[in-house]
Amino acid sequence: MKRRSLVVAAAGAATALPLLPPHLQAFTRAVRARMEAGAGLRTLDPHQHATVAALADLIIPATDDPASPAAGAAHVAEFVDVVLSDWYADDDTAAFLAGLVDLDARARGAFGRDFVDGPPAGQTALLQGLDDDTSRWNASPKATRGPEPFFHRMKWLTVYGYYSSEAGLVQDQRFVIIPGRYVPCAPADTAGTGDF
Amino acid sequence: MKTYDAIVIGSGMTGGWAAKELTEHGLETLVLEAGPMVTPADYVEHVPPWEMKFRGLGDRKKQLARQPIQKECYACDEWSSKFFVDDIDNPYTTADGKPFLWLRGRHVAGRSIMWGRQVYRWSDLDFEGNLRDGIAVDWPIRYADIAPWYDHVEEFIGISGEALGLPQLPDGRFLKPMDLNCGEVMMRDVIAKHWSGERVLTIGRCAVLTEAHNGRAACHYCGYCERGCITLSYFNSINATLPAARQTGKMTLRTDSVVHSLIYDRKKNRVSGVRVIDGVTKHALEFRGRVVFLCASALESARILLNSATPEFPAGLANSSGELGHNVMDHIMGGGATGKIAAPADRNTVGRRPNGIYVPRFRNLPGGPKSPFLRGYGFQGGASRAGWWRGTDLPGFGADWKRQLETPGDWHMSFSGFGECLPRHENYLEIDRTKTDAWGIPVIRISVAYSDNERALMEDSSLAAAEMLAAAGAWDIEPGTEFSPPGKAIHEMGTARMGRDPRTSVLNAHNQAWDIPNLFCTDGACMTSSACQNPSITYMALTARAANYAVDAMKRNEL
Repeated sequence: MKRRSLVVAAAGAATALPLLPPHLQAFTRAVRARMEAGAGLRTLDPHQHATVAALADLIIPATDDPASPAAGAAHVAEFVDVVLSDWYADDDTAAFLAGLVDLDARARGAFGRDFVDGPPAGQTALLQGLDDDTSRWNASPKATRGPEPFFHRMKWLTVYGYYSSEAGLVQDQRFVIIPGRYVPCAPADTAGTGDF
Repeated sequence: MKTYDAIVIGSGMTGGWAAKELTEHGLETLVLEAGPMVTPADYVEHVPPWEMKFRGLGDRKKQLARQPIQKECYACDEWSSKFFVDDIDNPYTTADGKPFLWLRGRHVAGRSIMWGRQVYRWSDLDFEGNLRDGIAVDWPIRYADIAPWYDHVEEFIGISGEALGLPQLPDGRFLKPMDLNCGEVMMRDVIAKHWSGERVLTIGRCAVLTEAHNGRAACHYCGYCERGCITLSYFNSINATLPAARQTGKMTLRTDSVVHSLIYDRKKNRVSGVRVIDGVTKHALEFRGRVVFLCASALESARILLNSATPEFPAGLANSSGELGHNVMDHIMGGGATGKIAAPADRNTVGRRPNGIYVPRFRNLPGGPKSPFLRGYGFQGGASRAGWWRGTDLPGFGADWKRQLETPGDWHMSFSGFGECLPRHENYLEIDRTKTDAWGIPVIRISVAYSDNERALMEDSSLAAAEMLAAAGAWDIEPGTEFSPPGKAIHEMGTARMGRDPRTSVLNAHNQAWDIPNLFCTDGACMTSSACQNPSITYMALTARAANYAVDAMKRNEL
């Protein structure tokens, strides 16, 4: 929350923009641009928002199929903010935000920068490690496997947020809200096979 | 004060039918509904998930606070939670160690909005079951008594299904059946090969139109019936029975009318009216009627009668038998099995069929082998392919991982057992004097538990389902081992049973209270046993039958 307070203070100062010296005006404009990118966010601060957006786009990137946009086009990070603010229990939100802190710590260990500022190859390698850990957790006995890993939460939020969006469900999955018919054994690539 | 010819308490599955039959015979009928008005304008089946705040996950915190019980129903989701009661305003209590889920709606049409729409007739295997087994009391009717009324209500509703000629599951006059998908066809053929003459897999018989019927359109396969249906393609009171009643000009529908109790006239030994608490103003009101139909649901109707005790009926109105509130039943669930099957990998379904498969009861049939338990169970379920939701636990991320989710995953086949519950006096409800609802009306305390027979049925259903899947070459077969608490199937019934003897039953063969001739109860309260079939169509047929009996009796000045 510290970072968020700082940004809010900076944005407050922006209302008095003409009075600021030129070098601070540029800084304030940059801060304001980042805030507007995450307008309406209630839990994620701009850095956390940027990190979640980057993670979501790494999990669900755009492909060569123009009908299958990236997670960003489906506003997955904004959906994550809604879940963190109004759906998750407080403990779950705290665990998720702690996971973002841990991710940055790992990133600085791996490539000397916060995750969101890292090189694509470094980001992917870091996520591969987290995904492997998640798969091991998934395969472990439920009684003894411990708390849900951050990356499992992030992957579920991304999958759910993307495939419940118009971009993910209608474009990628060819979901039709009113199919008008039931075809019991259609070719698997027929429009209208998408489910929710 | 105006005296109506008839007062119907409840506007749901059975109240709608009572209203339609009574008004169509010319009776001025007051329908009292505890909750608010619902019209097709309240339907939300075509609102896509991306227009919902939580994308269909539901308002979890609000549900924890206000619907901690109702949220246990699959249909109480972000769209349809408005069709379920507020648990804080509508409390009940349970006996220690005996959980019971009372899942319900209080609004015009009640649970007929969110019901599962499955329609299966009973047979004499069911109506004769108690007599044959020496359990509880004998039904006062047989299949021949109700068959014309099954015809009557099914003709109006429109039931799609496949005629099979099975003695334990009588056919109706069906609209064309929905199709089995390729996974289900494969399972049907395996079952026919290995269990010929014993088990059969058929498409569910359901109150969803496959062709236009009585001014209602055929299904468009959006698949979200529990959120309403603007084309009126599935049956509920708003779509069908209440409009028919309204068309007569004889129906007065009063919403927000919470029934407190019935008014008893001891001189005439008749119910003379109904005490109501206005749901909004909370003012006490009274309405007068010549005949009263209780259609408030099995538990609510029993509650009203128990709350209507008089000096003549200190244990509850019309309860000289002492059976009112007792013999609570539901259907036990949780048995069955799921598995992955080798159905065609290049095939999938288009459209969301609001219906599944059915395997009619095959245990303890006449002339067949005897199981080490009484009665039997049926299977519901179906085949489907895994979709995008498998992505979370599918190893990987990025473009190649995403492409895997663009094609459907494994075919899954599921069989869910619905087991018959035996009527037992010790499964009962009573008035809890320590607690009232938001309208100041004493609530019920429920004390119900399943017995070894129900658990044995479910264990057998898991074995039987697993062996069918194994015969089909299925893998990753998972038998069901966690059985549902009572109430979960939302088929609660039996609290004011019909019978042949006023000393051991509350209602006679016409759903008429033995003790009070102008009082009828036609919801699930009247059931003498539970069978294993979904019960709504039987409640509806009994309601139409009782309403017509009441009209005739009124003409003869008997009521």
